[in-house]
Amino acid sequence: MAESVTQQKEPKRVVPAPHASESFTKADSEGSSLLERLLGEQQALTAVETFSRAQDAGAVPAQSRYYSALIPAAEPGPGQQFAFDVDLDRCSGCKACVTACHSLNGLDETETWRDVGLLIGGTSALPVVQHVTTACHHCLEPACMTACPVDAYEKNPVTGIVKHLDDQCFGCQYCTLACPYDVPKYHAGKGIVRKCDMCSDRLAHGEAPACVQACPHEAISIRIVDREQVIEDSEADVFLPAAPEPHLTYPTTAYRTKRVFPRNLLPADYHTVATQHPHWPLIIMLVLTQLSVGAFLCGFALEQFLSAGQAAALRPLHSLNSLIFGLLALGASTLHLGRPQYAYRAIIGLRHSWLSREIVAFGGFAGAAVLYATGNWLGPEALVGSVVWQRWVGWGVGAFGIAGVFCSVMIYAFTRRDFWRFPQTTIRFALTSLVLGIATVWLTLLLLSLSGSPDANAVIELRGTLICQSLLVVAGTKLVFEAGLFRHLAGRQVTQFKRSALLMACPLAGYTLARFACGVLGGLAMPAFLLRSVSETPQDPVVLVVVTGFLFIANLAGELLERYLFFAAVAAPRMPGAIRS
Amino acid sequence: MTSSILVQHDGPLTRELLLSPGDFGLGRVPDRVKPDATVTSVCGYCSTGCNLNVHLRDGEAVNLSPATPYPVNLGMACPKGWEALSVLDAVDRATTPLLRGADGKLEPVDWPTALNTFCGRFKQIQQRHGTDSVAFLSTGQIPTEEMALLGALAKFGMGIRHGDGNTRQCMATAVVAYKQAFGFDAPPYTYADFEESDVLVFIGANPCLAHPIMWERVMRNPHSPEIVVVDPRTTETAMNATLHLSLAPKSDMALFYGLARLLIERGAVDEGFIERHTNGFYEFAQFVEEYTLKLTCELTGLPASSIERFAEVVADGGRVSFWWTMGVNQSHQGVRTAQAIINVALMTGNIGRPGTGANSITGQCNAMGSRLFSNTTNLLGGHDFGNAEHRQKVADVLGIDESLIPHEASMAYPEIIEGILRGKIKGLWVVCTNPLHSWIHQNQCRDILDRLDFLVVQDMYRSTETAQQADLILSAAGWGEKDGTFINSERRIGRIRKVKRAPGQALADFSIFRLIADTWGCGEMLKDWTSPEAAFQILKRLTAGQPCDITGIRDYDMLDECGGIQWPHPEVGTRKSERGTGDSPTSDFRVPTSPERRLFSDGRFYHADGRAKFLFEDPRPLSEPPSEKYPLILLTGRGSASQWHTQTRTSKSAVLRKLYPQAVYVELNPSDARRLGIAHHERIEVTSQRGHLTATAFLTPTVQPGQVFIPMHYEEANRLTDAVFDPYSRQPSYKACAVAVRRI
Repeated sequence: MAESVTQQKEPKRVVPAPHASESFTKADSEGSSLLERLLGEQQALTAVETFSRAQDAGAVPAQSRYYSALIPAAEPGPGQQFAFDVDLDRCSGCKACVTACHSLNGLDETETWRDVGLLIGGTSALPVVQHVTTACHHCLEPACMTACPVDAYEKNPVTGIVKHLDDQCFGCQYCTLACPYDVPKYHAGKGIVRKCDMCSDRLAHGEAPACVQACPHEAISIRIVDREQVIEDSEADVFLPAAPEPHLTYPTTAYRTKRVFPRNLLPADYHTVATQHPHWPLIIMLVLTQLSVGAFLCGFALEQFLSAGQAAALRPLHSLNSLIFGLLALGASTLHLGRPQYAYRAIIGLRHSWLSREIVAFGGFAGAAVLYATGNWLGPEALVGSVVWQRWVGWGVGAFGIAGVFCSVMIYAFTRRDFWRFPQTTIRFALTSLVLGIATVWLTLLLLSLSGSPDANAVIELRGTLICQSLLVVAGTKLVFEAGLFRHLAGRQVTQFKRSALLMACPLAGYTLARFACGVLGGLAMPAFLLRSVSETPQDPVVLVVVTGFLFIANLAGELLERYLFFAAVAAPRMPGAIRS
Repeated sequence: MTSSILVQHDGPLTRELLLSPGDFGLGRVPDRVKPDATVTSVCGYCSTGCNLNVHLRDGEAVNLSPATPYPVNLGMACPKGWEALSVLDAVDRATTPLLRGADGKLEPVDWPTALNTFCGRFKQIQQRHGTDSVAFLSTGQIPTEEMALLGALAKFGMGIRHGDGNTRQCMATAVVAYKQAFGFDAPPYTYADFEESDVLVFIGANPCLAHPIMWERVMRNPHSPEIVVVDPRTTETAMNATLHLSLAPKSDMALFYGLARLLIERGAVDEGFIERHTNGFYEFAQFVEEYTLKLTCELTGLPASSIERFAEVVADGGRVSFWWTMGVNQSHQGVRTAQAIINVALMTGNIGRPGTGANSITGQCNAMGSRLFSNTTNLLGGHDFGNAEHRQKVADVLGIDESLIPHEASMAYPEIIEGILRGKIKGLWVVCTNPLHSWIHQNQCRDILDRLDFLVVQDMYRSTETAQQADLILSAAGWGEKDGTFINSERRIGRIRKVKRAPGQALADFSIFRLIADTWGCGEMLKDWTSPEAAFQILKRLTAGQPCDITGIRDYDMLDECGGIQWPHPEVGTRKSERGTGDSPTSDFRVPTSPERRLFSDGRFYHADGRAKFLFEDPRPLSEPPSEKYPLILLTGRGSASQWHTQTRTSKSAVLRKLYPQAVYVELNPSDARRLGIAHHERIEVTSQRGHLTATAFLTPTVQPGQVFIPMHYEEANRLTDAVFDPYSRQPSYKACAVAVRRI
């Protein structure tokens, strides 16, 4: 099919008005009444009148004759649950299961809850092609459920079915990152996630799930599995070749085959790299929360090098600056929610969800930061009563901030994606905090200096070198750390790290270049320039404004781009996919 | 259900996906589209002929699911069937006729303008260049009633001599092979044969993807059958084979000759059957003498052990059935290849018994209807244009003057295309097919269609490659928006029904033909064709006394009551020509005794002497063998179960689009890729003498070294193919031409 419909054509064959013969006009005059009749008939729906099928009053669905043996006759016992059972030797790759699930569950136009992937391997003499139908694995330890900050997932204690509670969901999409099998799908129009529930309603009424009903080859059935057995199999990595490691969540689906798979069996999409959804609100939220936390912490750190008067002169504006970015971050984060009006529900997942914990930590951070900043402007007496308390509030800002950033790290580390591993993400987020924290300190100094504050000028003169050197070291370290990913390009094996490196090197090359350009400009060139000029007095205000502006904006832009790549270039684990072109 | 500020387990979002008992034996269905009635309709894609249960609300389709009791699909459907309704809502439907104006743009016009232009222009061309200068290209995708009306209108009303169908691209080979061997175009099997065989041999067929519901029947075979797959590629079907013969492209004819020789050597022939029911066996036996195991190995590239094992399996098989489709039909020597298969079935007595047969699996939903009723190669009802008796009979049934009926068959599709090239055909009417995508050697085809004075495309969509080139588009209603019948691969006649309103002013093809007849001035001649069901009654009468006699089918309702009816089903008392299993007559319109009937159980074929013929000739080399410049052989074929032909419909479903690669890709053996320096998923260029395309390389050992595979659903594929045809069937040989591949 051509992609666009063009109806343009050279006008070489101009159609003349028909030359009507006598019989032709006559036919025409009769034809119009026939035309009206036929157009009328076309719009009349008569299928029901011409066909009277007696309404089947029987309670048993006709299709049950084929599926009754494919679903369990009884409920699972203690220590057991329902599970999908896939006979790979019977899966021919027709994909009827996908469409049946779509139609019989009333999903939206583009929505599908089941997928069929393809494994290919072997030799030219003995090739192997194996289609693999897959949906939710109704895991023993569902990552979606653990991750969900609003408890919108429940695992039925009897059937083991992991069900998504659509009205409880507020659309944070964290489950879509947490599930190693790419099962929960975000529905932007509705602002929530939806997923397979093994047609629990059908099973409860003795009917088979849509996919089971529709597989022409009886490749999918529902069986009762022993949870102990699932754990044992998962720990022995008995699941499916080239699928994500089963010990992470204990998927219950059993893939069976009598075939002997070759060791080189790979998914058809193994060699393709696809960029992931970038989640802009999260990018902004992460970078700005880290900026804010970093700015407070760098501010506190700088104060250790200043006189009390200098620190006091710096504090109100700096805390305000830091606070503004923090509040912007929290504002941005709500934009990520499909249904932000239910943001408050996030507190109920505190016991298990790092996202809940992050929201609470940053909530505390914002509260403390507002108190702290207000105290700095109005004097501590106005709010918290004493300078000592004010200091405690400052400690609170720092503690909540660090806790918040730590929760941010854990949110991504929890997904077990290599690119988002704990050490790497910790380094990444911590260094972002420091780079942007120092940049913000410099911004505060500039603003104060412009307002004619002698303290600010003194600080620049005395501590400017230290600040610039710190920035050079921190920003340089971060750039080297990030560039280190490209060493994986040399590896022959297509690891998750290599996929990320490939994504950054090829489809995302523009972002990658921009990221490093900003990093070098804001983190190395501008501080190096400042380093030379801070010793000169008096400062040329124009130069200071331009250089500081560049420094701050370039670093902020650089970190935003870095975070864009953090999302877009992550290699997400997934079930084997089909051919992509 | 729990509900509080913090916890809400029920609500509008949950209710959106609520299921409720659907009644009508459906089980639970989405509450939002719970039906108040259901009707069944045969699917409009492939020739399997699955029955779909359309869920209606206020008379209009809201959903569908496969029909459970139907003897074809047993409650199943492939993705195309499941999504049959969603493709009707596409934005690129033709909702009014469109006429190309002086500015070269297609603009909507009303029906009277369209009809006047259609008739005026074609009459003008016929006056200037002779009546033969207008031709039509039809389809296997519209109901029998519509193709018969088109055939009658065009040939008897408009004086058009030449018309053919896109069935030339899929079934012509099987038609000719059967006609010559059996005396009538008669696929002998019923789908129960898939379940009753001890040995199933698939030649150039990948039912796993091309006919998933036929594969369903294979999977339900309880006899742990041997499955032999003859295919150069390791397809999904080959994966399920107990013996996969990965032979050189187009060497299947030699393989079957070699097999025949081995079977004769082993004495594994049914001499009684040969003696009583066939002609020409001894000449055939002599002919295959030459096809020694050694020669067969050379010609096919197969090891001797595989061929011997094949012979063993067939010899010891018991009930052996042979199934072929496009790998055989689309060949430069398709007819003789199909007959090589038929020969083996005949000589081993594997025909007429349950679980046997030389069985051509058809392509399109109504290719079988087209074979009997398109009035192109055959005169209506499987008659012969050259036979004066037949002409008189048809004239009598239709109430027309016998002299209106031409004495010879139409030119075949390739001759029509050539006729345009030579300036003999100036006007072309294309109904429900898309030659600019599907015709072989596409660049040339585009150039040729450009030479027409007037090109009319009658289609559901204004966006097909051919419609975009048309001077006039007639907006047609599609499957689901009209009534009629289809005939499936096992000769089963089933109903399709109108369950949706056609968009805008789109009209059923049947109505369009009636309007054209009326405008042309031959409405009176076709006055009895008032509705599809009235047409069906005419068609019934045309089949009287033919092998395909269906006079015993009372009406449409009887088709519903019986779960479709296979031909033949003659009226009681006129059963002399029936060759099927015996039915016991109880009334004029008795119900067939079995829902699954096969032909030739009495060993009587349709030739005058009742015998089948052995037909054979030496294989010819590949029409375009690989050369230094074009060292690889290009194979084309179906890519997935979710794509249909030129994708005019299947590309309109968002769900189907998720189930196949969006752009053209080329399957290439990893060893060839290494040699050419091509890595996984790199962009490559494929070139033949005729054209080139760029695509993504998909490296897979399932294609042999020296071969590449491109799915036919991508428009680019036919830029490469070579316009070579079977000499008997004139079917294009899509599946083997020489190409070169390079990295870009």
